[in-house]
Amino acid sequence: MRGSIAAVTMTALLTMFSAGAQAHDESKYPDWSGQWRRPPGIANQFDTSKPPREGQKPPLTAEYQAIWEANLKDQAAGGQGTDPTYICIPDGMPRAMNVIFPMEIIVMPKTTYILIEYLSMLRRVYTDGRSFPEDFEPSFMGYSIGKWVDKDGDGRYDELEIETRLLKNPRAFDASGIPLHEDGKTVVKERIYQDKTDPNVLYDEITTIDSALAQPWVVTKKYVRELRPLIWFESICSESNQHVRIGKENYMVGADGLLMPAKKGQLPPDLRHFTESKGEATGATGEPKR
Amino acid sequence: MACRSSFAIVALAGLFVADAAAQDFLLKYPDIVGQWRRPAGIGIQWDQSKPVGPRQQAPLTPEYQARYDANLADQRAGGQGTDPLGKCIPPGMPRMMSVIFPMEIVVMPNTTYILTDYTDPRRIFTDGRAWPKEVEPTFTGYSIGKWIDEDGDGRYDVLEVETRGFKGPRTFEASGIELHDDGETVIKERISLDKTNKDILLDEITTIDNALTRPWTVTKKYQRERGNVVWHFNHCAENNHHVWIGRDNYMVSGDGYLMPVKKNQAPPDLRYFQSSQK
Repeated sequence: MRGSIAAVTMTALLTMFSAGAQAHDESKYPDWSGQWRRPPGIANQFDTSKPPREGQKPPLTAEYQAIWEANLKDQAAGGQGTDPTYICIPDGMPRAMNVIFPMEIIVMPKTTYILIEYLSMLRRVYTDGRSFPEDFEPSFMGYSIGKWVDKDGDGRYDELEIETRLLKNPRAFDASGIPLHEDGKTVVKERIYQDKTDPNVLYDEITTIDSALAQPWVVTKKYVRELRPLIWFESICSESNQHVRIGKENYMVGADGLLMPAKKGQLPPDLRHFTESKGEATGATGEPKR
Repeated sequence: MACRSSFAIVALAGLFVADAAAQDFLLKYPDIVGQWRRPAGIGIQWDQSKPVGPRQQAPLTPEYQARYDANLADQRAGGQGTDPLGKCIPPGMPRMMSVIFPMEIVVMPNTTYILTDYTDPRRIFTDGRAWPKEVEPTFTGYSIGKWIDEDGDGRYDVLEVETRGFKGPRTFEASGIELHDDGETVIKERISLDKTNKDILLDEITTIDNALTRPWTVTKKYQRERGNVVWHFNHCAENNHHVWIGRDNYMVSGDGYLMPVKKNQAPPDLRYFQSSQK
């Protein structure tokens, strides 16, 4: 009788604890709570050990090196090149981990959430043992599966290994427009772990495998925990974005609310759909004609 | 039999020791984690019990009722009225609780997070903090919550939340029912599971705002997704065909040309383009 009661009690409790409920467990998982920022002096380049732009020396294929160089010329002329974020498209992976604005990591047994205060970027890293779905809509942040590892065997996890697939475009590694391949078959592998001597330092070793690259590109990002009282800001790209995209052309809106060119000699947009056109209706699809 | 019983008790004790903190947590907080959706048949209206638009009968002041009526006229003519979402401005509070796309609730001892795949996260601080002296205004606001054990059974069952510190523009719904420009909105919520159905979540939302003649209380209902939970990232800017040039709203057509949204709308002023000055 007692045995039955105990068994029933245990079954009931196990059911209660496993019915979808998740609880944070400090004894098993590392303390990655709080706010993580780029270290002082680190800008928005992808490989933080190298200078931005040309100094990044990304291992691009010849075709994508040419695309990148053309993009740098366009940016030098006032264009946006291959950087899609000027129209408030999210960074996506792996660029999101540049952490332009601070991030928060919430560790739960089945999912680790990475919240980035910029362009509403939310990563869910599933650690429930699932496989990649066979059919899933690609997204900028991708589909991430993680595995907790107890490297030092002390009974507490210390590293989160992540693989991210199912990414959509357009994406670039950083604002200099280093492109990822348009096939969207990027695979991003990460190892996130704390510094062994300083728990307020976090590392993310990011390996990007992409058809635009001649070899996997491995960089290690460093983040520092904010120890002052935390403040979270909303960074709403669309709120004060002066860029206007019409077709394939980028224009600007001036402080006086009038449309203006983003590049020297840029033609105005085609106004053929207006009954009384004030401008030149000369353009071809998405691109004004000269 | 006694041996089996002892084994079960030892196993149970082991379970408790290994995950004591986690289990204590689960015993203390209600199971509101997971994916929550609008119930079938509920649209994007603010008060779920009434249709979207004027039939919401929002208790607006005469000034804001007039603004609402003008906004409706503009929307009928093809404009966006006072609804800021055409510019990909986030819905903010309280509108984000209409949960256009599903939300996830993550409960941690010091913070409850409300995550959606289309706007910024809400952090509801439950660590006992006081209101900061200065709050940087945001669309989502600054939320302080308190867990309540209403029925005294030792487990929390209601999360009371107060949210302040807003910026605008914000509206209650797509029909353009505005909140006051002063950003002094105060929103009080009581979030709890339905007592008879643990897959139904209720959010009683009271909005106190200077655009309203009295507090406006609605109760939102959400349905827990028990099947295969799928999250889709919905980013407004990705396929937004609305374009704002100054205060004027235009559209970009499928073939990439600027086009009017209203009949006889004037084209934008192109004085800054050299070729337009010929």
